[in-house]
Formats: sequence, C-alpha cells, structure tokens
Amino acid sequence: MIPQDHLRNFCIIAHVDHGKSTLADRFLELTHTIDARQMTSQVLDSMDLEREHGITIKARAVRLHYTADDGETYALNLIDTPGHVDFTYEVSRSLQACEGAILVIDAAQGIEAQTLANVYLALEHDLVVIPVINKIDLPSAQPEVVIEELENVLAIPHEEVLLASAKEGTGVPEVLEAVVQRIPAPKGDPDAPVRGLIFDSHYDAYKGVVAYVRLAEGTLHAHDSVRLMASGAESELLELGVFRPQLVPVETLSAGEVGYVATGLKSVRDCQVGDTLTSAEHPAPQPLPGYKSAQPLVFAGIYPINGPDYPLLRDALEKLHLNDASITFEPESSVALGFGFRCGFLGLLHMEIVQERLEREFDLELIASAPSVEYLVTLTNGRGQVRVDNPAELPSPGDVEEIAEPWVRVKIVTPNTYIGTLMELTKLRRGTFESMEYLDQQRVLMQFELPLAEVIVDFYDQLKSRTQGYASMDYEEIGYRPERLVKLEILVNGEPVDALSMIVHREDAQAQGRQLAERLKKLIPRQMFEVPIQAAIGSTVVARETIGAMRKNVLAKCYGGDITRKRKLLEKQREGKQRMKRVGQVEIPQEAFLAILRTDEQP
Amino acid sequence: MAGEATARLRSSRGNDAGQAAIGARRATEAASPREPAARCIAERTPRPPVALYVHVPFCVSICPYCDFVVHAGRAARGPGARIEPFLAALHAELDLRADALAAPPARSPLRSVYLGGGTPSLLAPRDVAAILDHVDRRFGIAAGAEVTLEANPGPDERGDLAGFAAGGVTRISLGAQTMDAAELRRLGRRHSPQDVLVAIGVARRGGLASVSVDLLYDVPGQTRASWRGTLRAILDAGVDHVSAYALTLDDPDAEGITGPAGDHLPTRPGARAWRDRARAEQDDDRAADLYADADGLLAEAGLRWYELSNWARPGHESRHNLAYWRHEPYQAAGPGAHAFDGVATRRWNAARLDRYVAALTATPPALPPGGVERLDHETLEAEEAILGLRLREGIEAAVAARPAVAEALRWGSAHGLVEDAGDGRVALTLRGRLLSNELFERMLP
Repeated sequence: MIPQDHLRNFCIIAHVDHGKSTLADRFLELTHTIDARQMTSQVLDSMDLEREHGITIKARAVRLHYTADDGETYALNLIDTPGHVDFTYEVSRSLQACEGAILVIDAAQGIEAQTLANVYLALEHDLVVIPVINKIDLPSAQPEVVIEELENVLAIPHEEVLLASAKEGTGVPEVLEAVVQRIPAPKGDPDAPVRGLIFDSHYDAYKGVVAYVRLAEGTLHAHDSVRLMASGAESELLELGVFRPQLVPVETLSAGEVGYVATGLKSVRDCQVGDTLTSAEHPAPQPLPGYKSAQPLVFAGIYPINGPDYPLLRDALEKLHLNDASITFEPESSVALGFGFRCGFLGLLHMEIVQERLEREFDLELIASAPSVEYLVTLTNGRGQVRVDNPAELPSPGDVEEIAEPWVRVKIVTPNTYIGTLMELTKLRRGTFESMEYLDQQRVLMQFELPLAEVIVDFYDQLKSRTQGYASMDYEEIGYRPERLVKLEILVNGEPVDALSMIVHREDAQAQGRQLAERLKKLIPRQMFEVPIQAAIGSTVVARETIGAMRKNVLAKCYGGDITRKRKLLEKQREGKQRMKRVGQVEIPQEAFLAILRTDEQP
Repeated sequence: MAGEATARLRSSRGNDAGQAAIGARRATEAASPREPAARCIAERTPRPPVALYVHVPFCVSICPYCDFVVHAGRAARGPGARIEPFLAALHAELDLRADALAAPPARSPLRSVYLGGGTPSLLAPRDVAAILDHVDRRFGIAAGAEVTLEANPGPDERGDLAGFAAGGVTRISLGAQTMDAAELRRLGRRHSPQDVLVAIGVARRGGLASVSVDLLYDVPGQTRASWRGTLRAILDAGVDHVSAYALTLDDPDAEGITGPAGDHLPTRPGARAWRDRARAEQDDDRAADLYADADGLLAEAGLRWYELSNWARPGHESRHNLAYWRHEPYQAAGPGAHAFDGVATRRWNAARLDRYVAALTATPPALPPGGVERLDHETLEAEEAILGLRLREGIEAAVAARPAVAEALRWGSAHGLVEDAGDGRVALTLRGRLLSNELFERMLP
C-alpha cells in the first residue's frame, strides 16, 4: 500500500485541441503504465466518437506509478477531463477529486475561453494549478506571448510556467516532477469511518454500477459492505480497484486514494454521482458535500425514423443513461414525428454526441426536433408558473401572463480584428455587450449577455465562420428574464407541424417565419398537389410560400434492356420516401426538420 | 399493330441487296403470338429469345451526359482501334450464347436484332453483315424481322447507311438529339442539324425501310420554341419513329454499378462536372411542358405515342423495344448488354471491354464476366405491370387486379394518373405518363 504522503491526485484541464490527451498519453508511456505495443493515440479517449471529434467526453481516471527525482515512487491519480463547454459539469466533478490541476495551453493559440473557465473552476476548488505551455515545437508557437497572457489575465507568475511538447515528449518529465513537488498530498484520516465521493460511474453488465470514488477518509476493504448515504442503497462490494487504466482489483483503498468500487447495484439511481459512499457496518455520521446535479439546458425530441423502433430507442436511452446520468428523457409524441422522447442535454454538442451514440452503438435511425431551452411561463390569474421545454406545448396566448427565458453570459476570446463582426452577430441574437479586455496586443476577451435560445441555434458555427475559426467561447447561466416571446407555428398544407414550432421574440417572428417558410419550400419535395407553407402566430399568418404540384417524375431515358437499373432507381426513390415523415397528405423529408437549426445570417 | 408492322417490313425486304444478304433465311412467320400477360408467372417456362441486343461500345467521342458503355478516340479509330478484337470476341460470344439454345428449326427465329451502342455505324458494312449472318446461322432471323442499327448523323460517324441496308439492316435509329445548333454544341455532339437531314435522306435512299430519330428534352438552355423547332424540323424531314428522352443525368457511380464487375463504366471527372452544371439548369416544369408539346406535335403529324418515350407512325413501332416492355425473352451480347429469359432471370455482361475480349478470345472461349439476378414472384408481377403501363396498350384486367397493382392503381386513379383503356385494360393518362414513377414505386414489393 502506498503511504498517503506519496499520493497525488490531479487532473488536466485545457481548451479543446490544446493537447490534453496527448500529454496524458506521454504520462502513460513515461511511467510504463502502458507498454509501447499497446499504445494507441489518446488512450484515455476510449470512445470512437471521442477520437473522431478529438474531444474527451467522459472523464477517465488512471493511476501512474512514478519514480521521482528524489528516488521515491509516487502513485499519481490522473483524471482526464472533457474540454468542451457542454461538459463543464463533468470537469467540476473531477476537480473535486483532486488537489491539483495541470493547465495546458497551446503555445500557438494562447488562452481561450475554455481555458479561463477551467482555471476559474480550479481556483474555486482551491486546486494548485501547474501551467504548461504545450506544442512549443510548432513553428507558430509563441510561448513568450502566452506567458505574458497568463501573467496579465490570470496573474500566474512566469516562473511557474512549464514549457513542453507533448507530441515530442520534451518537457514532459518536468511536468510529472512538478506534480510531485507542487501538488500537496491528500489529507484525510485512514482510520476514520469511510467517506468516499462518487465522481463518476459506468454500468457494467456483470459488475453492476461501477462507481469512481475518491476516498476522503477511512479505508475500504475488498469485501466490505457499503452504503450510499443519499439513496440509502446498500451492497456487498464485488470488487475494489484502481485504474491502470483498465480496472485492476486491489485489496484496500484508503483515504486520499482514487479508485473504483463494483457495487453490483443494477440501477444508477441507487448510486448517483455526488453521493457519498460509506461503510454499512460503521457508517460515517455526515456525508461529504456533494454536487449540484447537472441541469440540462437544451431540450429536443428524439424520434425513431421507423416507428416500430420506439421500444429500442427507449432501451437505448436507458442504457446510455447508465453511463451518462446528465441525459434526461421522458416519452412524448408528435403529430409529425410519432412517438419519441423529450430529452434534456447539457448543450448542443452533448445533444449531437448522444444522438450519434444512439445511432452507432444501438444501430438506430433517429430524427431530432429543433432544440429548445426551458421557458418559464407565468399563467394568467395567479395560476402559477409552468416550465415548458417543448414549444408545441406552450399554453395558448390567452393563458400566458409572461414568458421568461434563460440567459447566459458568453465569454469570447478573439483576435481584435473580429470585434466588429462579433458585435454584429451578438446584436442579431438579441445580445447585449458587457465588457472587453485585451489579453495581449492582438487578442481580446469579450463578454456578452444573450438569451440561451439564441446561443444554442447555430451560434457557435457562426462564431467560427465569422472569425475564420479563431474565436473561442464559453458560457454560463445567469438566470431567467421575461421577454416578449411568441410561438411561431408552421402549417404545411394547412396542418400545423408541431415539430417545427419555435418560440421566438415577437420582433423577429415575421422575419424568422419568412426565412423558415422559404427554406422549407426548398426542402420539401413537390407533392402530387400544390402545398402551401405558412408561418403563423396564433391565427395570424406572418409568412407564406407555395410549393407547386409535381409535374414530372418519369424514367424517360434510354436504358435499353436494362430493366434492373430502372427498378433499382424506383426502389431508391421509394426508400427515400419511406424515410420521410408524413403530415396529413404531405411527405416531409428529415432535412426539413433540421431547417430550423440553420440561419441565413451571412458573416 | 404488330401484324401491320410485319407486313410493311416484309414488303420492304423486296430490295435486292437485302434479299441477297438474307437469302438463306427461312421464311418463317416473324411475329409469334404474344404470351398472354396475365398467365400466372409461376407457370412460365423458359422460352427462346425473340430478340437479340448487340452492344457495340465505340464512339468517335463521348458525350458528357451518356453513361452507356463506350470507348472513344484511339480505341474507336486508327491503328490502335480495339474494334477488331471486339468483333472477334463478339462472334465468340454469339456462338456461346447460341450453344445454349436449340438449333433454329426446333424453335422460332428472332423477330428483332438491335445493334446499339456506342455508335454501331462506325462498323464497316461487311462487319455488320458478318454479325447478322452469324446471328442468322446460329439464332435464326425471321423473314421480315426488324433489324435496327444505331447511327450518329455526323459525316464521320454515320458510316455507309446504304451498305448497312444491303447487309440486312432494316431500320436506322439516328442520334439526332436536337435540331438546334447551340444545344447540340452544349451537349457535346459532333454533328450539325443539317447533318441530321442529310443522314435521313441517305438512309431513305439507301433503302432503310424505317427511320427513327432520338431526341433529348430538358436540355440546358432549351426553350419551348427551340424544342418545337426541333420537332418540326424532324417531322418535315419525314421520319417514321421518334424517341424523345428526358436528359437524365444519372450518377452510375453512386448507384454502385461501375465496379470491376459492374455493367457501367466509371463516370469521367469531366462528365461529372458537366452533369453537375447541367443538372442545375434542368427544370421539371419545363420538361413537362416540352413533353406535352412533343406529344401534341407528333400526334398531329401522325406519330402516335406507344411507349412513354416513343412515338411512331402505325406499323413503325420498335418491335425490339416492345419485347422489353412486354416481358418477352431477349438475348444480349457485347459489354454491358442485358438479357432476360422471359421467366425470372435477368443477366448482364460486365462493362469492361478488356476483360470481355480476354475471356472470349481465350482458348477455349469463356463467357465474359457479368451478373445475374433472379426475380422473385412479387417483383416479377410488379415489373410486368410497371413495364406494361409504359405502353399505350396498358395492362390487362388480370394484371391490374393483382393486389399490389390494384392498390397503386386506385391511388393513381384518385390523382388522375390512370384511366380505363377498354376491355378492362388500364393505361396511363398524359399526366400519368409524366408522373409514372410516383405510381410505379407503389407497385414494387
């Protein structure tokens, strides 16, 4: 067993793409945790999706055995954290299991919005921050500029900053040495009653819920009976172990250590992240302070393209929820899309990733309705408030006293040449400018307040395209504000298409209605008859387009005796139609439901 | 209709050259009675082919919209031309295909031979005559049979039309496409409108009994005025048959039919770019107008529509194409060519000329690579209705009554796509012809 003063618990925080996972890979190699033969790039990003997107979605933990310059061997618990704003919640959970954090900054990119957010989080948790400027091998690296930024913006003294190239391995041993030297060992009495914070979990078909635990006090033994203090669930441990990074059983875990416990519990609800694990025989009197549970910010309906897949979708969501407790879902039905689920996500990227995981891991074909935020609707005559996360369910105007929507503070780090275009973009999105400060001679940090609804639709893409990819952003909630909001409905051939409803600001309603109707006209193929598309607020039509009746669809080509090809083309046409959704008499392709996600704003 | 055609074509054989070439042929009745369509498909037995398609894969140059199996440039002309090895392989294939059949006296000879391409008119008349003689020896060609050869109108492409007639060709199909010079250039064609008129005249004088032209509509830049001009010019020149095809810019690569064993060649990058540009200039509304214009003008001139894309003077309907639509058995030879056994099996040769030649010129010759599909009963029933409805005569009551077909017809009737054609037969309306895919997809299993 490793003495407590030879333990170090730390995580790596970084903006997307600044080299966090590559640095983690070097740590694994340097400490011989994984031999070179098994080394795949970005070992800790084990999901295909993570490697493809180049992002970390789930926090991972690994224990490294490191022999320091003082000749002593230390056990370093590294917790890899996600780098995207949607997963800030995961980061903050991971931070709570650590005493220190390595802050990785790209030597060419400098401080980004996410860097700031992560540093503030780390400081909130009283962590020791080790700043590492990475990618110094790049020709465009400007470590001196980044050092100056760190000093100006985050008050990090330049002598604390380490320089490294995780790709080439330079400077990496110095980083590990700094982990040992600068980050304090965990505290906590190994003889006290057991208290362990559950900072993550996954579900295993054989071991039940496997909880990732940071032991604050006490010592756990392999066959102890444990209790979850919040849920009250008890279980006899199936296994106790550490991450190498695969699960390796150990006999004991004691105060300060990070490891896992296989609980055998079948429901994640019994073993929620943030709960405190204690001994069933000698329970601790008080749980550890837990976490706020993650609040979904973005909501969308998810529907199977093939109606009969509905039970499969339900099973898939339940399974996914076992590993990602931040997803919420409840059944809903839509006239246009049939039976599906209203799902809550941490953000748009999270939504995209969940949808992709459902499609890939469960082989489902899905269609998602337009994302929405959760509105707070005050009803007339003092009948209280309701929360509405589906525009189709907004009470009728007569019942609505007021609609409030969530606002966020958006931080954008950008080269100063793009200030104008970003002011314009945020203004178009009903935002207000708050402040601006220079990080260095070229780059500024801008702060805006914006309705969240305006941020989740296409804002990030617009930001990237208007700044040639140079700007980065981060946002945090700042509460609800009442606004003049109305429901914009789309009627196709006279029938309202619930999945195309959206809640918009009254002043933008007509313009948005017109835009959407135009876009739908292009996306909905001609039918056997003329199809009007209308955008309406209540009974007032604010925009109208007409799709003319189809006049020609004929295989009038000389295919010779090649009847097979003719038939295949017909089959393909029919398959295309089967993937469409039927509203009344009209077949609407899936792209039409995504039309709402795009805007026509040109940078 | 078929009887008329037979009589006319038979009488046209009176010219000496034709007589000489087919002198050895037996005077058998050309048109054997059609098998009743409604006869249960499951009871069908394989029948010998009534028609033969021969694919000649050479052109002087390749048009960017075309995705037939074609080789051009040095492959088609000059010392490096691949025509000779192709012909050797073709003769070998004809023998192998015929080996599988009973000898002519034991079965009906072919009612139609069709040399398509490509540009079969690039072949020398003696080569065409040799092919036809070979076909006649091994398959039998009925007296009065329809023998079509596709030709391009340009002076360097149309070949010796009188020579072909002397060798046994009775019908010429000219790839005119349009009579508008600018449209022809846009389509990458080598000929001028004047060349089309000349070619028609030469064909007539050369003794070809039936002259057909192919036209294209929904061409980039085409207007109703230019299209009507094309139709009038063609009609003034006096043709017996018009095929008007919508310019259809397919993507065979995306269809997955251009692989090593595919029946199409991969699309060239230049052609792909051309198609992308042209597609942007196509318009279904215009296409529908142009189709209706064609139908009206051709009918006024005495050419009646008898198939979605085909119009003819009575008696000049292409018997070869009718065999396709009527689910009759047809044999095929040449790269990319398709055959049907009249029961449930479709077969095709792969597109690659080198492999085609290699297999057939080996010792002993082997059949070239290709593909085969066996259709299940439901698909056959649907196909029969779909192909039958392409024709003016439509489908008979028993076919229309099949459940999947009947359901689609009810829908089609509600949308004005089909009508009663007498005797319980069902046929497409003009609107139905233009929207036939909407109806047909509903019939597939």
